[in-house]
Amino acid sequence: MIIVMEENATEEQIARVIEKLVQLGFDVHRSTGVTRTVLGAVGHKVVDARELELLEGVAEVIRVTTPYKLVSRSFRPEGLEIRIGDVVIGGREIILMAGPCAVESREQVLEIADAVHRAGAKILRGGAFKPRTSPYSFQGLGEEGLRYLREAADRYGLLVVSEVMEIAHIPLMSEYVDILQVGARNMQHFNMLKELGRQPKPVLLKRGPAATIEETLLAAEYIVSGGNPNVILCERGIRTFETSLRYTLDISAIPVFKKLTYLPVIADPSHGTGRRDKVPPMARAAVAAGADGLLIEVHHRPEEALCDGPQALLPEQLFELVGQLRHIAAAVGRTM
Amino acid sequence: MDIEDWRRMIDEIDAQLVELLNRRSRCAIEIGKLKRAQNLPIYSPEREREVLERVRRLNRGPLDDEALHRLFERIIDESRRLERLAAEHAEGFPERTREERS
Repeated sequence: MIIVMEENATEEQIARVIEKLVQLGFDVHRSTGVTRTVLGAVGHKVVDARELELLEGVAEVIRVTTPYKLVSRSFRPEGLEIRIGDVVIGGREIILMAGPCAVESREQVLEIADAVHRAGAKILRGGAFKPRTSPYSFQGLGEEGLRYLREAADRYGLLVVSEVMEIAHIPLMSEYVDILQVGARNMQHFNMLKELGRQPKPVLLKRGPAATIEETLLAAEYIVSGGNPNVILCERGIRTFETSLRYTLDISAIPVFKKLTYLPVIADPSHGTGRRDKVPPMARAAVAAGADGLLIEVHHRPEEALCDGPQALLPEQLFELVGQLRHIAAAVGRTM
Repeated sequence: MDIEDWRRMIDEIDAQLVELLNRRSRCAIEIGKLKRAQNLPIYSPEREREVLERVRRLNRGPLDDEALHRLFERIIDESRRLERLAAEHAEGFPERTREERS
């Protein structure tokens, strides 16, 4: 930590800051400059920077280390490959996860699974428990939906990812799915994150729409520090002042995450934009930016979908998109 | 004298500096132990100021006062650290710091 004092800071003010740092267990490197004094605080103590910022004469406190430890890139510089069966997430291959927003019926999920499998997807997505903005919207089929999802995935040799909405559902979900998804709204449901830290299955953690990158990494730290090392981060759009789309898909978060953490990072352009016509360009951008995978919603009859139909791609649109993505993947040294 | 001669001179002086700095550090360690025994704070700004003012008074150049001040700030930083370690590990010091370093 570096503490920069104000230009006119008095010797007494500087002494009080040093005293505080020593009390907190830091060693202090004092550097008296021509106009200002800078204090280097050396040590591994965890401190709320505000405690120092509020001392008189302090101009700025600069944190050098990160508040997350286990998910930091420095912990595993080579990156993390998560293996599930013969699928590797975080390797050279960009993994496509696709499927309906919500499982609506056995026939619906079988038909969409067939389409996404033909498009080259390795993982079938689909919600059985749906967090909906309105309590009057379709809430999902529950366990019945999980059964349909598993059956469809097995028929086409796909893995399953589905959202866990509450701690009590984890054992049931684990019977049916290969990856447990934490939705954007639950990103800071810390008790659930702790429970997921005790699970043997990988977790797909979506960034909250109002969460900073650091907050997202701290959420991942909850899971990893609990003993589950296999976390996949997902950028799915954040709230900004821009109103033209549902969210602003933060493409720049992908290279930032990749620098700060070794965890695989994927993007969800469906929720990120909320509109089918904007999904392909943002999917292309995400692959170009270094995403390890994509999570895309697909529906064969989106006008009849019970959930988020306007953001679902038609199967033929997905085929065309994957063809384009393969070119971009090759250009950035990846496969798809 | 050529560059090599001057460098040999610097090497000799450095050897003395290392010896002197360690002698100074041993004093700091003893002070740390006493501060702990007497329950005194490790950081004493008045004493630090006194040391800096004194070395300035002793200064006859060619180092200017500011340069000397900066050098002694670093020496004081390290002494403060040694005092803290000595106070924290009252027994078995300074052996324990050697282990830390290895």
